[in-house]
Amino acid sequence: MSIFHSMNTTASALTSQRLRMDVISSNIANVDTTRAKQVNGEWEPYRKKSVTLKEQQGQFSNFLNMAIGKTEKIGAGNGVKVSSIKEDTETPFKLVYDPSHPDANAEGYVQMSNVDVLKEMVDLISASRSYEANITAFNANKSMLTKALEIGKG
Amino acid sequence: MNEVRNLDLFGGTISSLEKGLSYATLKNKTIAQNIANVDTPNYKTKEVSFKDVLNDAKQANIPAYRTDARHYDFKINIGGSGVYSNENFRSRANGNAVNMDAEQAKLAENTIYYNALIDRVSSKFSTLNNVVKGGR
Repeated sequence: MSIFHSMNTTASALTSQRLRMDVISSNIANVDTTRAKQVNGEWEPYRKKSVTLKEQQGQFSNFLNMAIGKTEKIGAGNGVKVSSIKEDTETPFKLVYDPSHPDANAEGYVQMSNVDVLKEMVDLISASRSYEANITAFNANKSMLTKALEIGKG
Repeated sequence: MNEVRNLDLFGGTISSLEKGLSYATLKNKTIAQNIANVDTPNYKTKEVSFKDVLNDAKQANIPAYRTDARHYDFKINIGGSGVYSNENFRSRANGNAVNMDAEQAKLAENTIYYNALIDRVSSKFSTLNNVVKGGR
């Protein structure tokens, strides 16, 4: 329960959203990558990565309060954290007909990454908007703290 | 002039305003948490109940149970309560129920409320200052 609690909460969200944007950038950058990693001696195209966010649970005291009967009394929480960065193994690779490509198979098809640029752009805008919203929250909190420092000055 | 009077210089105003400020701070924390978790799957909006905070302010202390008059008396203060989660809301496909516009509106409102309280505290202090200096 420190005075910078809200700022830490917002900062955790800014970090998470920025990481999300980094991962989206990586996805867009690798949209044409055909050699991302080797599996059993064969090159595999880039797989789309996605970030999973998770609510950061409170400290020990919050859980203690919940355990001693104040079940509905949850704390304000500690922000958000990135729980994992997962590779998309569900979506199949795109097949492009290009016999001259070094990675083309016997039929002349090349396996391309399973990144959908349109979806990535939508995600990018979503992350960017969330980032802006958190900046607003941070500024509101900052103005409140500055105001609190003015007590007794006038 | 033997009578010793308890000079109630500050009255109850400042402590009331202080409780209001602590409510606004808790609310600000909760809104920050909601905005931070706008993309978290299955996250449900948290809110601060004014009633709960009021009740807590009135009876925040649990006194110790004493079996002997010589035992020391102490109290447990339970803080950070009054926050509850709306578990039944479901507005988007990933189970997240944060309404960003509502949160931004609450944030703006809360900031103004907080600033208003700070103004009141400041003006209370300047009034006292004026009195102490005898209006000079």
